[in-house]
Amino acid sequence: MAYQRVAIVGAGITKFVRRAQETGKELAFQAAKMALDSCGLTMKDIECVSLGTAPDAFDGVHMKGEYLADGSGGWRKPYMRHFVGGGTGVFAPIHGWFHVASGMFDTCLVVCSEKMSSCHPHPQGAFKTIFDHTTEQPLNPTLIWIFALEMNRYMQTYGITKEEIALVSVKNKKNAMDHPSAQLPMEITVEDVLNSEVLAWPVNRLDISPASDGAAAIVLASEHVAKRITDKPVWIDGVGWNLDTAYWATRDLAYPRYVEKAARMAYEMAGIKEPQKEIEIAEPYDPFDYKELHHMEGLLLADRGKAVEMLLDGKTQRDGDRPMCPSGGALGVGNPIAATGLMKVIEIFLQLRGEAGKRQVPGNPRCGLAQAWGDLMQVGTVVVLRR
Amino acid sequence: MGLTERTNRNVDLTYWEGEIPVNYVYTYGLGLEAFFRALKEQGKFLASRCEDCGVTYLPARVFCERCLGKLETTFAVPGTGKVYAYTVVHRNVDESPKEEPVVLALVDMDGTDCRFVHYLTGVEPGEVKVGMAVKPVLKAKKDRKGGIEDIVGFAPA
Ligand SMILES: [Zn+2]
Repeated sequence: MAYQRVAIVGAGITKFVRRAQETGKELAFQAAKMALDSCGLTMKDIECVSLGTAPDAFDGVHMKGEYLADGSGGWRKPYMRHFVGGGTGVFAPIHGWFHVASGMFDTCLVVCSEKMSSCHPHPQGAFKTIFDHTTEQPLNPTLIWIFALEMNRYMQTYGITKEEIALVSVKNKKNAMDHPSAQLPMEITVEDVLNSEVLAWPVNRLDISPASDGAAAIVLASEHVAKRITDKPVWIDGVGWNLDTAYWATRDLAYPRYVEKAARMAYEMAGIKEPQKEIEIAEPYDPFDYKELHHMEGLLLADRGKAVEMLLDGKTQRDGDRPMCPSGGALGVGNPIAATGLMKVIEIFLQLRGEAGKRQVPGNPRCGLAQAWGDLMQVGTVVVLRR
Repeated sequence: MGLTERTNRNVDLTYWEGEIPVNYVYTYGLGLEAFFRALKEQGKFLASRCEDCGVTYLPARVFCERCLGKLETTFAVPGTGKVYAYTVVHRNVDESPKEEPVVLALVDMDGTDCRFVHYLTGVEPGEVKVGMAVKPVLKAKKDRKGGIEDIVGFAPA
């Protein structure tokens, strides 16, 4: 395919918090400014802007793309919002990639901002209408139903226990202790997870990520421009995305085939033949602890039902063979939906540049991956990054 | 801390309260209208099938999502099925505790390629097994209004 090679050259993330005093557009501004400053650019250098943000109902602002435009640097620029629910944050670099890879632009500022705390009494309420209004809403569903049913099916299919899955939460919340943006860094035990309140069996409170406010941003540049901006560009070598049926109840809940299809698309583009060997570090989307394992399998980073063995063997620890969510993930850093996915992309960017500070994994990895998941639990978004 | 933690904290921050003042009227759509009429009036479960894709849809739909073929005929399936996955729900949408935990399941519907999400009735949470056979429990005909709640839930077959 004939397209420009695209690099990430700068990045910024706000703190992820329970409730920010800043508006969503002020959060967007903070992240965008940090990203520009990190690579010494100004808005004069930015040719177009891509914004990612999740449901309008969180902020209670209809047409949130327009609302967030000023904080995102959209003033008098080619500006476009994209949205695939929870998958938005990793769709963000893909959306920005289109702009630059196409040859239309040489630089693109990609911003993701989310303010979930505006929504009262809780953002859960905003999820009501993602369920079918005729066949599901009368049963008063909550989002946790879906996860509880999927986690049950995943455990049942492969004989995985709650104790084993809880180790993901323990690992990620501990990793987050070294992340300056983290909302929920903590040292906990498997017992703490199992003893936390049951929301919908098998899901306990400490199995899940929090609602958060926060923003993240990256700067993309074409190859010839990137090399003038930085001597450490990180290349977007593969992009993939895929959508399964909206009839979530009917999907294979033990295995996310749509994630596999997204991953295969990105691997083919990046020339990756053996993902378990070639992807050295990854940030699979972890809004719930079992999802890290579930997604590792969909991403072909573990055989089906075997991700838990890598976890138990310590391979997915930050100092293990195949670090997963070294940032602390959604479970530890927090989950301001669209910003979470981009935070994961930024973690791989920093790790590949050797700039992750206390979170730096050993072994000088050259190739990593970030993934997010969303819409009605049906979309997989994947980017493969290389230095 | 958790996804459902209440947010009414940090009230020292300056804030406004607001709403989007609308509500909605949803139609059943062509496929579901036929399904719920049959359920209400005859206690039947209407499905439709795409022969090209070999997929049977329940409730009946008017198009196949895989090939966008039109689905023009419907037929009844038994309404029985098997538990594919289940959960025991302890909290309401507003996070208040439920008086009794509610068992909710995905049911693989016999003779179709679809699942229903619905309550399990007549079974204790500890007795539910993935794979167990279940049958629908319908409200009495006079109480059926043409909605998903015409099905009380699914009970062990
Ligand atoms: Zn078809």
